[in-house]
Amino acid sequence: MKFKSSYLAVAILAAIVIAFPAFLGAYPLNVARSIMTYMALAISWDMLLRSGQISFGIAGLFGLGSYASALAVLRGGMDPFVSIIFAALLAGLVAFALGFAILRLRGMYFSITTLALMEIFRIIMQNLHDFSGGPEGVVIPAVIFNGSSTALYWLCLAGLFITIGVSWYFEKSKMHLALTAIRNDETSARSSGVDIFRYLLFAFVITSMLQGMMGAIQIQSYGFTTPDTAFDANFTLLPLAMALLGGIHSTMGPMAGAVLLGIASEWLKLKIPYGHLVVYGIIIIIVILFMPQGLVGLARKLMRGSDTKGRKAGATHE
Amino acid sequence: MSKLVTTGLTKAFSGLVAVNNVSFAMEEGEILGIIGPNGAGKTTFIHLVSGILMPTSGRIEFKGKDITYAPAHVRSRLGIARTYQLIHPLENLKVIENVMIGSVFSRDKSLKEARRSAEAICAELGLERLGRDTTQLSILEIKKMEIARALANEPEVLFLDEVMAGLNSDETRQIIATVQRIARERHMAVGVVEHVMGVIRELTQRVIVLEAGELIAEGPYETVSKNPRVIEAYLGGAA
Amino acid sequence: MANKRNATIVVALITAAVVAIMVWRPTVLIYGVQAAGLYASIAIPMGLILGIVHIVNLAHGEFMMVAAYATYMVCTTFGIDPFVAMIPVAAVTAAFGFVIYKLTIRQALKAPELNQLILTFGLGISLTQIANLVFTSQTRKISFDYVSASVDVGELSFGVYNFVFVLIAILMVVGLRLFLTKTTTGKAALAVGQNPKGAAIVGIDVDRTYGLVFALATAMIGMMGAVFITRSSIFPAVGSPFTMKSFCLVAMAGIGNIPGILGASLLLGISENFLKAFRELRGWSDIVFFVLIITVILGRSIKGKKA
Repeated sequence: MKFKSSYLAVAILAAIVIAFPAFLGAYPLNVARSIMTYMALAISWDMLLRSGQISFGIAGLFGLGSYASALAVLRGGMDPFVSIIFAALLAGLVAFALGFAILRLRGMYFSITTLALMEIFRIIMQNLHDFSGGPEGVVIPAVIFNGSSTALYWLCLAGLFITIGVSWYFEKSKMHLALTAIRNDETSARSSGVDIFRYLLFAFVITSMLQGMMGAIQIQSYGFTTPDTAFDANFTLLPLAMALLGGIHSTMGPMAGAVLLGIASEWLKLKIPYGHLVVYGIIIIIVILFMPQGLVGLARKLMRGSDTKGRKAGATHE
Repeated sequence: MSKLVTTGLTKAFSGLVAVNNVSFAMEEGEILGIIGPNGAGKTTFIHLVSGILMPTSGRIEFKGKDITYAPAHVRSRLGIARTYQLIHPLENLKVIENVMIGSVFSRDKSLKEARRSAEAICAELGLERLGRDTTQLSILEIKKMEIARALANEPEVLFLDEVMAGLNSDETRQIIATVQRIARERHMAVGVVEHVMGVIRELTQRVIVLEAGELIAEGPYETVSKNPRVIEAYLGGAA
Repeated sequence: MANKRNATIVVALITAAVVAIMVWRPTVLIYGVQAAGLYASIAIPMGLILGIVHIVNLAHGEFMMVAAYATYMVCTTFGIDPFVAMIPVAAVTAAFGFVIYKLTIRQALKAPELNQLILTFGLGISLTQIANLVFTSQTRKISFDYVSASVDVGELSFGVYNFVFVLIAILMVVGLRLFLTKTTTGKAALAVGQNPKGAAIVGIDVDRTYGLVFALATAMIGMMGAVFITRSSIFPAVGSPFTMKSFCLVAMAGIGNIPGILGASLLLGISENFLKAFRELRGWSDIVFFVLIITVILGRSIKGKKA
């Protein structure tokens, strides 16, 4: 096992981040938790994107995880920590069922169906008054870990570490070859023995589990949620903008984008109370049109000189 | 037993019959030429055999096993490999990874094993500097990479779809020599689609001729090239 | 022949269902048809863009929202009727759509389909948020007397204004059919939709055709935005359910099949109103489109596997 200096740098960074509660107060920790949540969502969105499938359903699966966790505790008496695992599994199960139906057609059919997810789940939760609390939402008896801001921070961080770990695994294992091949040319992938449907389904289920997990962590950390807050479109919008800006098809890119936009978002919320989200929409448009590889891709290009040709964000040669 | 047998293989695209009732067999160790004028259905035929398209009717057997409707990735596992006429390298993977893809999934190799065997195959084909992006390759190198990927599959049946197109005579000779050697060493059945008749004459033991989707002649190149119907199909004959 | 028999059975079932509903609760059918008209009018422009330019505009509903707000401003400032304002609003929306096409979508056309999805998604969000910035999330409405026009048939009393959407939908289908088959530009557009490379080879300016079709579709959406505000209140997010339902209808009808959208809309409109007829089930009517599209996708992928 080669001892890379980059691994050392990562370890040091991780240690610093873990140690944040030692020198940061409750408010910065809160902001950090928000950024970490979006970061995990951005990374998990990117993981599926690497196969060429665009999901607009992050908010749907995130909210589903929130409700699953809350209702497991409220109606099932489950232990809050266990409910997080339960929520992840449930999100995975739903993704499996849905993916089974729509992943064969993929492309825009898949993407637009995922877009509908947040609406559908929201409507379901709104209608099942007795079970889910209807439009007023649910309140769980206690915030997990008694609301200790350090514990909540570490819980969120754990979720993020898990997500980063899975994403990193996707990059280092056969998944990388499979997903990239599927994205670049499905016909070549199939001829090379890749069972496209199976790999897509796997990626969709895993990323949905991660999104559900973060939703569960969210609700356990805040103690309450409503259909509108759980399935807030921001949970789709921000991770997308972050991953795009940072640089898609990598773990680093969404992380960088999340840090940048996460911090900017705090500032923006103060300056433009209404409609500050327009910034994210515009970022998405600008990135897609002018720098599809994002900042990380741009940095890579600069370092390599003028070797690379043209845009690479999933563009296929004709 | 023949490696690959098709019986009455037909593919119709709502009205247009691209492959019409083609029956033939491929034997181990033989290099078979597949020729015919443009639009004769040669590539469609390969699509049917490799599983990219499903036939309208007919039967395909691989070593006695019915694979008529088996999906492409399953056939890849069984050992049927092919190259593509319209080359499409996987541009977000390095050259070595493009080749590794051939064995990682169909032969269940670990990444390390796949890399080692990919390096060996590339060495055989004379493909170097495997850490490059595919955008930096010459046409010859891209062709070699495609062949390497197909070979990584360790196939028993291999189809080369117009691999010589765009190569000069030196490069063509290189590829011919390599294909002959590898087919012999690995006991593969190889099907070669080509328009350059010199290649067919040198490389193949037997030739089948397709025209408008139908098999119109079969036999050694010398015989087939004198067949009046074949000459007529080409409107003027071969090189 | 099996196909003919299947078709007759289906027609018989549908007629039976329709008769049953008429007898049990005719308003379901009436309001269903009206809703179908609304959905179809909004979905047809999306079908046009998808069939010819081959992109899905995820900002579809937002274009309608923008037109609705524009109409609102024009009507409240100048006191004119939306049906009059419809013409300038449609023209402005068309110009807006054309500019958007030139600036953004045209670039993304060179990249694969999926980039356009993200692009139009970002576009839709931006438009919604700009509306939020300018108008806040407060709902706006203008009231018109003719909207409450109703008719009494026997014991039945129902609103008839919404039939205007049925009229618009039918006019759209007929108009488009004439345009696409009888005019040179229209025929060129059809050619481009079927085979852009081939069309370019025979000398059709593909880019110009795309721009034109996009502008035409946007004009239609703009028109719908103006009519929409006559009977609904508007708010920045009002468009997004329509984007999804439009896609559902276009997918059900099949890409390129514009008249089919009418049939699909009827199915959606009547099913939704069927659920609305039961008080406990009312909230579930918005799920119908999702069930429909999943069914359609499942059906297609099963059929695809056999092919």
